[in-house]
Amino acid sequence: MDEQKTEQAEPNKISKVPIIGYIVLFLGIIFFSGIFTDAKGIEAAFDFNAINGAFGKIKEGGTGAKNGFMFAITLVPPTMLSLGVVAVIEHLGGLRAAQRILTPLLQPLMGLPGVVGLALVSSTQSTDAGAGMTKMLREQNLITEEQRTVFVAFQFSAGAAIGNFLSTGIALFAFSTVPIIFPLCLIMVLKVVGANLMRLYIRKVVKLEEL
Amino acid sequence: MKKENVMDAFTRGAKEGWDVGIYSMLPNVLMAFVLIEFLKLLGILAILGKVFAPVMIVFGLPGESIMVLVSSFLSMGGGVGVVTSLVTSGILNEHQVTILLPAIFLMGSLMQYMGRCLGTSGVQTRFYPVMFAICFINAIVAMFIMKIFS
Repeated sequence: MDEQKTEQAEPNKISKVPIIGYIVLFLGIIFFSGIFTDAKGIEAAFDFNAINGAFGKIKEGGTGAKNGFMFAITLVPPTMLSLGVVAVIEHLGGLRAAQRILTPLLQPLMGLPGVVGLALVSSTQSTDAGAGMTKMLREQNLITEEQRTVFVAFQFSAGAAIGNFLSTGIALFAFSTVPIIFPLCLIMVLKVVGANLMRLYIRKVVKLEEL
Repeated sequence: MKKENVMDAFTRGAKEGWDVGIYSMLPNVLMAFVLIEFLKLLGILAILGKVFAPVMIVFGLPGESIMVLVSSFLSMGGGVGVVTSLVTSGILNEHQVTILLPAIFLMGSLMQYMGRCLGTSGVQTRFYPVMFAICFINAIVAMFIMKIFS
């Protein structure tokens, strides 16, 4: 799948995050979470599905390639909306705010230093950006071989998780019986679990000095 | 060059969304619909449904949903396309789509990402099998958890 580009910066620097960054990140999470899906009041303005709207009746039934084509066409507006909103969140500093919030959690969650923060946030949007930055971090000796392997285990399962979920995944949002923030959070939690499985494997099966 | 404002940012993202929708999702979804139609007309889908029923029932899914997992492994878009096609065919219901949703991503596009993620990051090749295993474990765990909450 195509993914969008994320901001490129020095991996080991976190520039100052304006307060608007945190606000926009919070609003972004609310917007995509689906918690206001059934809202009727003004809070509906902060719901993805409400803003996405409806075509009205276009067609019913159908089979095969033509049916697939018509269905895929209905996915274009939500994808444009979704990636447009993500670009606005990025523009207003929301991704940097996420990086700020996540950095202190990296050590306790996965044994990774704060320096991987930008690569981690980028990797949730673009597999290529995450993997490229990871290689650079290792080459600059900012992370150990074990840390690289653990970090890549995090990135590999559900690559570009948030980017892909908010574009490709859109096709399935309408069917979901739970608020869509739930499967997305589960994906992120299991990515961290996966990284720890790799950590365990390295500790138990591979001798550390072999790395 | 003019500095980007909020509206420029939105339109830049929306353009990316157009590209993803038209050049990636549309071909993937169309491919999936054609594949499922083909397998359905040949009667293979029904056979797959029967053969994999005992395995997939563990997750509260029909046997045909094995196609979702196989195509996800190749590409997330393909997996999503197969789901939507199976829904239109009346094989999957909303609860079952919800069960499959996180798994499609957790074990999604692994063939592509072997190069783009594992290759690019320069991780040692001896870890590749473990990397794949972790993705499958994540997908299985996700289906169990979603079965409870869907």
